[in-house]
Amino acid sequence: MGTTVLDAPPSMAALFARAALTARGRGGDLPDARLARRGVAVDPAEVAAYARVCRFPLADTLPVTYPHVLTFPLQVALMADRGFPLALPGLVHVRNRIEQLRAIGPGESLDLEVWAERFARHRSGATVDLCASVSAGGAEVWRGRSTYLARGASAPEGAPEADVEVDAADLAPGTITWRVPDDAGRRYATVSGDVNPIHLSGLTAKAFGYKRAIAHGMWVKARALAALTGRLPDAATVDVGFRKPLFLPSTVTLATAPRGSGWDLAVRNVKSGADHLVGVVRPL
Amino acid sequence: MATTRPVPGRRAAVIGGNRIPFARSNSAYAQASNQDMLTATLDGLVARFGLQGEQVGEVVAGAVLKHARDFNLTREAVLGSRLSAATPAYDVQQACGTGLEAAVLVANKIALGQIESGIAGGTDTTSDAPLAVNEDLRRVLIQLNSAKTLGDRLKALRGLRPGQLAPEIPRNAEPRTGLAMGDHAAITAKEWEIGREEQDELTVRSHQNLAAAYDRGFFDDLVTPYLGLTRDQNLRPDSSMEKLATLKPVFGEGPDATMTAGNSTPLTDGASAVLLASDEWAAERGLPVLAHLVDAQTAAVDYVHGGEGLLMAPAYAVPVMLARQGLTLQDFDFYEIHEAFASTVLATMKAWEDPSFCKERLGLDAPLGSIDRSKLNVNGSSLAAGHPFAATGGRIVAMLAKMLHEAGPGRRGLISICAAGGQGVVAILES
Repeated sequence: MGTTVLDAPPSMAALFARAALTARGRGGDLPDARLARRGVAVDPAEVAAYARVCRFPLADTLPVTYPHVLTFPLQVALMADRGFPLALPGLVHVRNRIEQLRAIGPGESLDLEVWAERFARHRSGATVDLCASVSAGGAEVWRGRSTYLARGASAPEGAPEADVEVDAADLAPGTITWRVPDDAGRRYATVSGDVNPIHLSGLTAKAFGYKRAIAHGMWVKARALAALTGRLPDAATVDVGFRKPLFLPSTVTLATAPRGSGWDLAVRNVKSGADHLVGVVRPL
Repeated sequence: MATTRPVPGRRAAVIGGNRIPFARSNSAYAQASNQDMLTATLDGLVARFGLQGEQVGEVVAGAVLKHARDFNLTREAVLGSRLSAATPAYDVQQACGTGLEAAVLVANKIALGQIESGIAGGTDTTSDAPLAVNEDLRRVLIQLNSAKTLGDRLKALRGLRPGQLAPEIPRNAEPRTGLAMGDHAAITAKEWEIGREEQDELTVRSHQNLAAAYDRGFFDDLVTPYLGLTRDQNLRPDSSMEKLATLKPVFGEGPDATMTAGNSTPLTDGASAVLLASDEWAAERGLPVLAHLVDAQTAAVDYVHGGEGLLMAPAYAVPVMLARQGLTLQDFDFYEIHEAFASTVLATMKAWEDPSFCKERLGLDAPLGSIDRSKLNVNGSSLAAGHPFAATGGRIVAMLAKMLHEAGPGRRGLISICAAGGQGVVAILES
């Protein structure tokens, strides 16, 4: 198993373009390759911009979802590589699980490592998990696991069954109402670097089969967690399932319910009543 | 002046405090809002005193420079903090007196038995300032908004001018005189013949005292790092008379102008909070009481037409409070006179020494007299730490309470804070 250490984050626009151009003819098993960056310093201005878009307060610890922004370019680089069996365009983010082992300070030097695992069979295709581990001072502080669904793709012989269900209770309708504007995708793209065209405009989303631009799942997750600021354990698992796409613009509600020292949450469309996100927060 | 001795009753205890290091304007906290800073400060206090998920009686805080959207600033900060969401909160605003006034309000409710515990605080940012639309544009927009017909709308739009794009920027100036606070202070400095050298001396001492306090760890349980800062950014431990002498005056006019950027406080960003409680509440939690808030007084002067200096109100407030308590100006172990400008501190002390001021303006038979300078601002004050307007009161209350506690029981400290609008807030703490 080889780990490639990169000196700088790869350019996501270039990766998305390369992934689109090399989408055809992919197959086979997951590569063993890992990508890493060492001694990454967080840029306070970038954290502040991210916090503003996701509604986190500017605190002396990183937003719990922020390390995803640091590791995501490496995950995209893995997926954009020709050796990756699934085509990046068309991959749907269906689940994201974060384990924060402790709060991370903005001045900490971080080591990032990403890899792919759990190529699995799903009733409508195959799923793969893009994993990330973030360490500080030699100890792991944060883990991320994003499950992507490739519709119509098939997992290799003997692959396990996909695990995409988050065990969240049915919640009463929420009172926290967000009017999500049509530029929400562009705003999050600016602060996260996730310039996937399906989020940027109606036109670019149509090119990939969506009727309108859709909000980034990780933005919906971040904003839901920002709404729980001050009420989250420092060490926690935050596991969410992304359900129906959140088309822009939309009005949605966030429902929250305490479960022990954790929370259940759901982001739901006001018009259709469909869930966009269901999730759980549990202390570690 | 007739004064009544208050009936000694329950006194509010100062349990401790927390603040973030103060940052120079448009620097380390340039991206932080008042709410961010106040929330971080409350969370630091919560962590220090184990208040996670706890409900305190009330949280009272404020900001001097405040966005219209921050109408419920303190409550919003509470909701974003680790305090129980069932903790009530309200905002106060009394210019630079905000933080101390907040502490007095919390202490009074505790003394009356209406609450058992409370947090007083303040926050200010001169970086994330509340710019408003140009006043002329605002009037056009209001007219446009209330227009009912297309004709009315077009008529309103005719009022638009390119120059209206320039926003209204909040200024550190008095609305009724148009003068910056420093210009007012310069008038007072001249009137009281406050020299450049004594101002610079006070400034150097402020920096040296604050640096020494940091070095011996005095602030370890008073300050929580924030956004990369661990000490006040304005602090210059190597400040010297020689360096300060090179600065050109920025307030006042002519060759005898004395006030520089060195001996005036810079624009700063920051927040502070103080935990107050009844003795019983503290005892139940095993928290030591640092000091009690004994008394407080506000005063105001007519700096517009009355011939008094803008920042001289504390000189009036202190004797009223002393008379009520049967104390003299010399009955204190520590004096915390907020260093809005070095000249303000010096003019205030000179006024208390002046027989004619004390007789004619304060109506006293004898001057209040002088204070022992070795007891003044011994751990530094605003010239070194900076002065995020509403945060200064909390900085001083928590620091003085700790100083009194360290000095032993029965020690007394005086706080004097001048404020815009010709106001002053003063208080007495006792260990």
